[in-house]
Amino acid sequence: MLDLAQNTLDGIAAGAAYALLAIGFTLIFGVMRRLNIAFGPSIMVGVFLGAWVHAQWSAGLIGAAAATFAGVLIASVYVERLSFAAIRGDAALASMASSFALWMQLEQGVALAFPGRTTAFPTLPQLPDVRFAGLFLGGDDLLVFAVAGAVLLLLHRLIYHSHFGLEMRALADSPEAAAVSQVNTRRVAFLTFCLAALVGAVAGMLIAATDGQITPKFGLWATMKGLIAMMIGGLGSLRGALLGGLALGIIEAQAQWYLGAAAREIVVYGFLFLCLIALPGGMAGVRETGAERKL
Amino acid sequence: MDPFLISVLSNIGLFSFLALSAWILLIGGEISFGQQAYFAIGAYASGIASALWVWPFAVAVLWGTVLGAGVGALVAWPAARLSGVHYAIATLAFAELTRASLNVFRYQRDVEGYLTGPDGANGFRDIRWVYEAGIEPGPNLTIIALSLAGVIALIGLAARLNVMAQLRMVGEDPILAAMQGVRVLRWKIGAGAAAGGLAGLGGGLYAHLATYIEPAQFSVMTGVHAVAYGLIGGLGTALGPILGVLIDIGLLESLRALAAYRMIVFGGLVAIILILRPRGILDETLVAKVRSWVRR
Repeated sequence: MLDLAQNTLDGIAAGAAYALLAIGFTLIFGVMRRLNIAFGPSIMVGVFLGAWVHAQWSAGLIGAAAATFAGVLIASVYVERLSFAAIRGDAALASMASSFALWMQLEQGVALAFPGRTTAFPTLPQLPDVRFAGLFLGGDDLLVFAVAGAVLLLLHRLIYHSHFGLEMRALADSPEAAAVSQVNTRRVAFLTFCLAALVGAVAGMLIAATDGQITPKFGLWATMKGLIAMMIGGLGSLRGALLGGLALGIIEAQAQWYLGAAAREIVVYGFLFLCLIALPGGMAGVRETGAERKL
Repeated sequence: MDPFLISVLSNIGLFSFLALSAWILLIGGEISFGQQAYFAIGAYASGIASALWVWPFAVAVLWGTVLGAGVGALVAWPAARLSGVHYAIATLAFAELTRASLNVFRYQRDVEGYLTGPDGANGFRDIRWVYEAGIEPGPNLTIIALSLAGVIALIGLAARLNVMAQLRMVGEDPILAAMQGVRVLRWKIGAGAAAGGLAGLGGGLYAHLATYIEPAQFSVMTGVHAVAYGLIGGLGTALGPILGVLIDIGLLESLRALAAYRMIVFGGLVAIILILRPRGILDETLVAKVRSWVRR
């Protein structure tokens, strides 16, 4: 019983980071109705740049963070221009395939620019661990959880209580209606992409700093976790991203503990496949809108 | 022939099966990032059949093809009801599920003094049919080329019988197709089965050429490449995806100077072609122009 509770707690801690990745995916999908598969690799460009800046000038966490933000933003703008802004019209699948192609580029670009299997990333300041009733929660995990919560609250405020949020929701609802209502759809789409990049940078930095190192597999890892969390939570929903992230974290932790690492993958992908087929709207129960049916 | 050229041509032939498999689904209006799963199923099934059950080569490969088609239909049956993005991710999930399952799949036994069979993540060694039958790389290439020619001829026949036209209709506008009396769901399941069978056939041939297969070979990137071949080569004709394979493996992988930047060049090429020619180099318009020019 204690194991079960401890696994759940570990799962929630990992799930907070997954939720942040899923939020990045869901922001882009929610507004543009297109998937950016190159989201994870874009984050990888940032964290590798951060690690490099840290190694060159021992910049510490602040310097590495600034470089991470810059790297993710540059990579994301590149992806947005080539895979999203340049492909007009009703072409969700073309954008998805194109972002996959850019994923190849970003991955090999990182491998060529930063050779070596693993790179050190500055770690978070030491935080006190929490123990209660036989359970254990790392200080790092608490920080990740707090940051994820803060990002979610800020995004909620931005989307539901600001003019830009109104424009985003208008675009998500109907691009045509938004355009005739004087919303600059290209600008809103571009800024949404940048917003997702910022959330992704926060997620990538927290994950890299918690682990203390990064590998060239980070891009694939981040895309898969974020994508799975978003799909099981429900596409284009903030609540779904949070639910999906936590669910993914808990399922992984329980499967790892009770069944082992090899079975964990099987459980996660099996669960995703079943979720997609039985529950296309995800756990948040996203209802299919007219825009979605066109895909 | 030069051994290097033979191996390049064999690879081109084998990946053409995977590319054609993804292309059939593209024609039917779906993107699948999971065709590598059927490639893996075909490779493992026919490898087991020939190495462990000592079946004849042709029967073993046919068994891999049939199993690929069956599983393809089974996956397409629920997945075809989903929207495009859900379909793509569902196929991706199924492929990763297959790869993860093969990582723990152990089925070994003693065949004539050798312990052989799939050994989880360590892969499946000694699919020895090529050695035992004394098949050189040259004749092996002939087998691959003849199989590929047979598949292309079959697709050509399907085009004559208006099968491809109906599939294109389903892909272009499922609602309009349904109003014309086309059974959209059946066509999508059929396309899934055909695509699974094609990938299974390629996988079976691949297992017997490589003699060693492992789950890590059937990763997401393999499936993404398969889709990309059709997208750059063109959706207008079955030669489109093969042109895509030729560009990637024939040009980029084989030229030493380009090998280090292969993914950057290939990725950029795909992205640019998707902007300039959304239906690929050999798209429907070009194919129709060439046809009318040939008829004149």
